[in-house]
Amino acid sequence: MASSSQNQGLSKYVTLISLDGFEFVVLREAACISKAIAKMLNTQSNFMEAKDGRCVFGEINGIVLEKVAEYFYYNYKNRNKEDVPDMEIPPELCLELLMAADYLDT
Amino acid sequence: MSNGPPPPPNPPQRGARAIRGPQSALTDFLASHNISANQIRQDANARRAAALASQQNGEDESNAPSPVADPEPAKPRRKETKAQEAKRKKEEEKAIAKIKASKQFQKRRRQYGSDDDVTDEDEAARTLFQESMASLPGQMENCEICEKRFSVTAYSRAGPDGGLLCPKCSKELDKEEGAAKKKRKTQQGRARRQLQSNLLDGIYPGAKDLTTLCIETLAKNVDMADSFGDLPAPLIDKLSGILCKRRLMDSTILDLFLRPGADSVTVYDGSKLSSDDYIRIFQIVPTIKHLRLRNAVQFKNKVMDHLLGTTVELESLSLLGANLIDDERWDQFLTEKGSHLRELKVYWTDGHFGNEQLELLPKTCPDLRRLKVVHNQKVTDEGIAHIADLANLKYLTLEITTPRVNTTPKPYVQVINSIGAGLRTLSLTDIPYVDDSVLGAIHDSCKDLSKLRLVDNETFTDEGFANLFTEWRNPPLTFLDLHKCRHIDAAEPRENPDSIGLGSLGFQALMAHSGESLKHLNVHSCRHISLEAFESVFAADKTYPELLTIDLSFCQQVNDFVAGSIFRSCPKLKTLKVFGNFGVRDVRVPKGKILIGVPNALGMQIEGTEDGEGRTI
Repeated sequence: MASSSQNQGLSKYVTLISLDGFEFVVLREAACISKAIAKMLNTQSNFMEAKDGRCVFGEINGIVLEKVAEYFYYNYKNRNKEDVPDMEIPPELCLELLMAADYLDT
Repeated sequence: MSNGPPPPPNPPQRGARAIRGPQSALTDFLASHNISANQIRQDANARRAAALASQQNGEDESNAPSPVADPEPAKPRRKETKAQEAKRKKEEEKAIAKIKASKQFQKRRRQYGSDDDVTDEDEAARTLFQESMASLPGQMENCEICEKRFSVTAYSRAGPDGGLLCPKCSKELDKEEGAAKKKRKTQQGRARRQLQSNLLDGIYPGAKDLTTLCIETLAKNVDMADSFGDLPAPLIDKLSGILCKRRLMDSTILDLFLRPGADSVTVYDGSKLSSDDYIRIFQIVPTIKHLRLRNAVQFKNKVMDHLLGTTVELESLSLLGANLIDDERWDQFLTEKGSHLRELKVYWTDGHFGNEQLELLPKTCPDLRRLKVVHNQKVTDEGIAHIADLANLKYLTLEITTPRVNTTPKPYVQVINSIGAGLRTLSLTDIPYVDDSVLGAIHDSCKDLSKLRLVDNETFTDEGFANLFTEWRNPPLTFLDLHKCRHIDAAEPRENPDSIGLGSLGFQALMAHSGESLKHLNVHSCRHISLEAFESVFAADKTYPELLTIDLSFCQQVNDFVAGSIFRSCPKLKTLKVFGNFGVRDVRVPKGKILIGVPNALGMQIEGTEDGEGRTI
């Protein structure tokens, strides 16, 4: 996987893992909207995450991480559009999601 | 047929409605009694025509006993015998026959494409006949749909079968057919305006980031929140900004922002808060070090007295609009709490906070690093001079708007000569008669400035600016605002013989000095900068790697070419403002950049570049 040419060897997908063990397989390009995840997955950084394509978030639970994954795809889908309707965010998740967004730098 | 109940009156066909003049009082009166002068005239005309026709061909009439079985009387009358009806019908026939023969009718047939079908011709003639009988505004008529009686107005609309409709039915019809069309149009307009509004706020069109989405949702549902938990301070600050912008910051919402143990409280719009709310800030958050309140009108003597009685040790205080604190309380505050004070910002205090308070500052606040006195009407030259004694000052902002008496250059020069060497920020606004001596003092004394603002002046010369930026030992600036430094003469607005204001020389000199690190540049209204100066500054071989925002509004020489050159020479540029520059018409804006103030209603065009396909707003 990480042997010959780095970029070609990389999988197109990465796995995000929540603190309660839920795994979300997300398109790498979509997940890298988050600057924090982009840094984790940077192949030059030599992080574990970059080698395995797996990011474990010890402070984000499954429900919030699911919403984060949903946002990644929402953003990815609308990356070249104006007039994008805002993504619905359930008010009860808002604070936790805000903390996660701040941590992930998105 | 005539013995039965009167058939529902068939409303007249209404074709192209003519515009009619005002009605006479008599017509109005008759109309109110349901008598139409027009109808009477029509009837008379019809009778006359019938009489004429019967004279001409009397035999024809006898063996043609009204062959038209068409039960379509134009106007059934109430008290009408059978004979009368028959007679009227005959008259009608005649009138129609006459219409058919008339020139007007022939012309119309030619217009609408002739048809040899006889019944069509009959119908067309009848339509024309009924059209001339159409009810006038002010008369009563039966609604085509609900058959209720109503008075006809100029706005009565025609129903699906050509009859008139009562206001209620017209409204319903409008709703049915108009709603979809109208709605779509207004929605489009709203979306476009929202987009332009976002651009003005610097929000680039497209998906918002997750933090923004969450903060907006949170702001929408703030009434559901019990506390913000341990949100990081920058997010709390953003949230306060959004809530204040929506004018939601009241007593209960304020409680969410008062977190025991926190060191800062910011309220961007405190106009809904009372004195007791401000007192509560110090009670709940006694550890507060940084207090920033805007529109804090109710932050008055009472609150100041409470603050003086607590152990709160503020390091920075920023008050906007607190014009109910009198000078004695200011003196007391500066004397008792000044020793901890590092930053003091006092905005819009009307008749309070004057020379005496500025005189106190050097004695009571030795550590003061940042001083901002904005829109102050009490400070004069004498007070400004005292600022020269604040040896540790690093950031200085003054906007003295004393009515009648304008500040003179002397105290500014004194301040700059005395403490200029240590200043990082120097911002002087509303200084119309301050002259080149201040520019000279800045050139000689300041060597550590990163932000310079000299705004609203009509005395500085182009040469003065050129001298300031030539061989200045100060490192390149990051923020430069020289807007409204220009010549003003109502009699000869275009002439500028003495090169007053920031002109070509000054602009070229400043870009040569600071171009490499400048992030924000505002030369709005500096209308004497020539096109050649812009072209040479933003020439193909020059790049300004750090520039983020540029305001070139009302610099009349700026055109499409200059705007295009700016986009090329400033790779990091986010926004370019060009209000009032009619030379900028059709610039292609690279993706990721915003052009504001293009003089057309539809706004800017975006074209794709390195990281995306082309698209247009």
